[in-house]
Amino acid sequence: MDAIRTENLTKKYQLGWRRGRLLALDQLNLRVREGEVYGLLGPNGSGKSTTLKLILGLVSASAGEAWLFDVPCRKVESRLHVGFLPENPYFYKYLSGAETLEFYGKLCRMRGAPLAKRIDELLELVGLTQARERRLAGYSKGMLQRIGLAAALIHDPKLVLLDEPTAGVDPIGSRDIRDLIVRLKGMGKTVLLSSHLLAQVQDVCDRIGVLNVGKMILEGDVNTLISDQKRLSITVQDLPDAGRAQVEAAVRAAGGSVVTVEHPQTTLEALFLQAVKQDPRGKKIHD
Amino acid sequence: MRAKWLGVVGLLAALGLLVPVGQQIQAQRTALKYGGARVTLAMRDQVGQGMAIGLLAGFRGVVADFLWINNQGYWERKEWIRMYRNMELVTTLQPQAVTFWDTAQWHMAWNIAHAVSSDPANRTKAEGLKRKREWEEKAREFLADGIQNVPNRYELYFAMGWLHWWKLKDPCQARIYFEKAAQFPEAPTYCTRMFVRGVEMCGDREGAYRLWRELWRDGNPEKSRDGINIKNIIERELKRLENDLKLPDEQRIFPVSHS
Amino acid sequence: MTERVGFSLGRVGTIAANTFTEALRQKVYNILLIFALVVIASASFFSQFTFSEQLKFVKDFCLGAISIFGTLIAIVGTAQLLPAEMENRTIYTILAKPVRRFEFLLGKYGGSLLLIFLSLLVMAVMFGAALFFKENRLVAETMRDTNLTAEQAADAVARIRAEAWDPDVGKGMLLIFVKQALLAAVTLLISTFSTSMVFNVAVGFMVFFAGHLRAAAMEMLGGSRVVAWLLQVIPDLAAFNVADDIILGNAIPWGHVALVAMYGIAYTSVVVAAAYLLFADREI
Repeated sequence: MDAIRTENLTKKYQLGWRRGRLLALDQLNLRVREGEVYGLLGPNGSGKSTTLKLILGLVSASAGEAWLFDVPCRKVESRLHVGFLPENPYFYKYLSGAETLEFYGKLCRMRGAPLAKRIDELLELVGLTQARERRLAGYSKGMLQRIGLAAALIHDPKLVLLDEPTAGVDPIGSRDIRDLIVRLKGMGKTVLLSSHLLAQVQDVCDRIGVLNVGKMILEGDVNTLISDQKRLSITVQDLPDAGRAQVEAAVRAAGGSVVTVEHPQTTLEALFLQAVKQDPRGKKIHD
Repeated sequence: MRAKWLGVVGLLAALGLLVPVGQQIQAQRTALKYGGARVTLAMRDQVGQGMAIGLLAGFRGVVADFLWINNQGYWERKEWIRMYRNMELVTTLQPQAVTFWDTAQWHMAWNIAHAVSSDPANRTKAEGLKRKREWEEKAREFLADGIQNVPNRYELYFAMGWLHWWKLKDPCQARIYFEKAAQFPEAPTYCTRMFVRGVEMCGDREGAYRLWRELWRDGNPEKSRDGINIKNIIERELKRLENDLKLPDEQRIFPVSHS
Repeated sequence: MTERVGFSLGRVGTIAANTFTEALRQKVYNILLIFALVVIASASFFSQFTFSEQLKFVKDFCLGAISIFGTLIAIVGTAQLLPAEMENRTIYTILAKPVRRFEFLLGKYGGSLLLIFLSLLVMAVMFGAALFFKENRLVAETMRDTNLTAEQAADAVARIRAEAWDPDVGKGMLLIFVKQALLAAVTLLISTFSTSMVFNVAVGFMVFFAGHLRAAAMEMLGGSRVVAWLLQVIPDLAAFNVADDIILGNAIPWGHVALVAMYGIAYTSVVVAAAYLLFADREI
């Protein structure tokens, strides 16, 4: 079964009196398989948010249909199996972390001991057990994202929709969220992730789709798409300069050509994470 | 989409069904005499803009009270006519408010009447007396209006009786009003007693004595509110009248040889 | 094969409870402090007037304040409920769960009703305290008055007590509550399509005045049948004002109270249903 399936899904927004209509999504045919992590990419205004809202029944389609696990998205039943983390979520500030989860749990008809147990599990999963009694007004951005994720997972949905989950979050929080996504996949959940922070998407997604001006212009397996099949990169270690000349010669002899020879670079992110990890003062208390 | 239009039609139909209910409520309100007098344009000029809005928003009592409180100022400045007009306006706004009619006539017949009779501006004593009589008469007319508007409460009948007794010096008229007041079940027992006294003062001592005997009820008179013992009062009146009428012992409740 | 998500009163209750605790933090509830001042003033002053007048003042001013402040709380407290959810995007997180839009709307309205009820309760208690204070003061003064005979004093005290505590005031409060529930529903209806709090409050108050002026308007404009019919659509809010008549001592039969209450509840239901019609398809 496909977790998400759309057929010619179209959305036109009315732009006010006599100002015509905006075609936000143009006949989208999307299939997200169960158990995969799918990245929905695209510039601002490309239709990513519209797609998510259509799937969640927050707006209605102008044409076409969408199904979640074969249940039409316009039916409230379709939301039994999906959890949603919106962009820049804002919760009820005066509730504590645990109370927030309790509220959403009750909305999903969860009660009593099973709900309490689930709250404990989720807080553990997102690393907020220490902050469970603190009001959300005192949470950092990263913590809000994590509690949002926990709230999205409260009813143990098979599908999780994440809209810009790492926007505005520091690299450490960002890493944590990406680790969580990998864990969710490990649990057998399907994840649809919408973002324009491409480097982060690259790490976690199995497949990606690129939207532009309402149309899907590119779709496929991440590794296949981004690897340059015509080139090969071999990383060597402890090679003296003389050996380097020999390697280059061997490549030319085999019919290839040497494109670049340089020292591999780590990423700024990895450097940052390494430095913070090694700081003897440890993680900050608020996190 | 069709469901939505059906919904709209359904709601309009429901509103339509409520129309006769609203009309029935209006009819009941009219029958129960709710809402006081209609707000006319003339009234609006008298009360001012702010108060007029208050009236239209349904705060008739509050507006009437605010206007009534002005009485205090008029009284202190001795502006009798203004005070009279004010009381007229307030009783027009809330014609069913017993307290306004009652207090208004008291102001006119007791306070204003006394003030004008002893006004140093009077040239002669006779002039003072004439002005006093005018205000007492105004009070009587005002109270008559009040009784017309609130015929179902004892207070205004009693007030009229009291007015005739003390100010208009007409015990025969007073007696009529005291009797009317006494007919209300919630009226205090002194209404009846004033009626009986009125009967006597109007010249019918025998009639008054018979009525006292009825009230006596063989030594078990009706208790007044809060259980004050009026037995002594009735006993006193009976003895006095038995002496005045020079009744023989066998006809008395309190024979002379035993007292 | 798929599960069915039925209408759940439990979900409505969860949303209502949450709405209640959130909305309680709105500044509009500071109005209750102003009400307290009105109560204190009406109970403490006016000692130059007769006891009948003083009791009338307390009742008129307090019930009038309950009516106007309660209406303010009902309209202003409700005006922001939906717009705030949409602005803060908390509505996304709720509607992304298996929650029906009707449950959400009903929950929001329910929370508002809870608040109106609580405010009325608080004001009623303060009103009761004012009456109690005034009654005892008047009784004490009457006992001290040497111009009255014992029976006159006893009668005056009995009348003070009778006038102070009129059980019909409860009926008046009930109708005030129904009226405010109706106005809150109208405000909710407007807020389903308008996100401006100022607009919502303004329209709420326009309906308030229109409802009161309806009778006068009918007289002046009721010639044309179309106009008369249109005017009938506006709820007759004057029907809920029985406070004046209670204070004047008029009879308030339960039959009439029940009829007016049912009228209000029916009207409110229509308005909430209309709000749902608008909200059901609204793009979030």
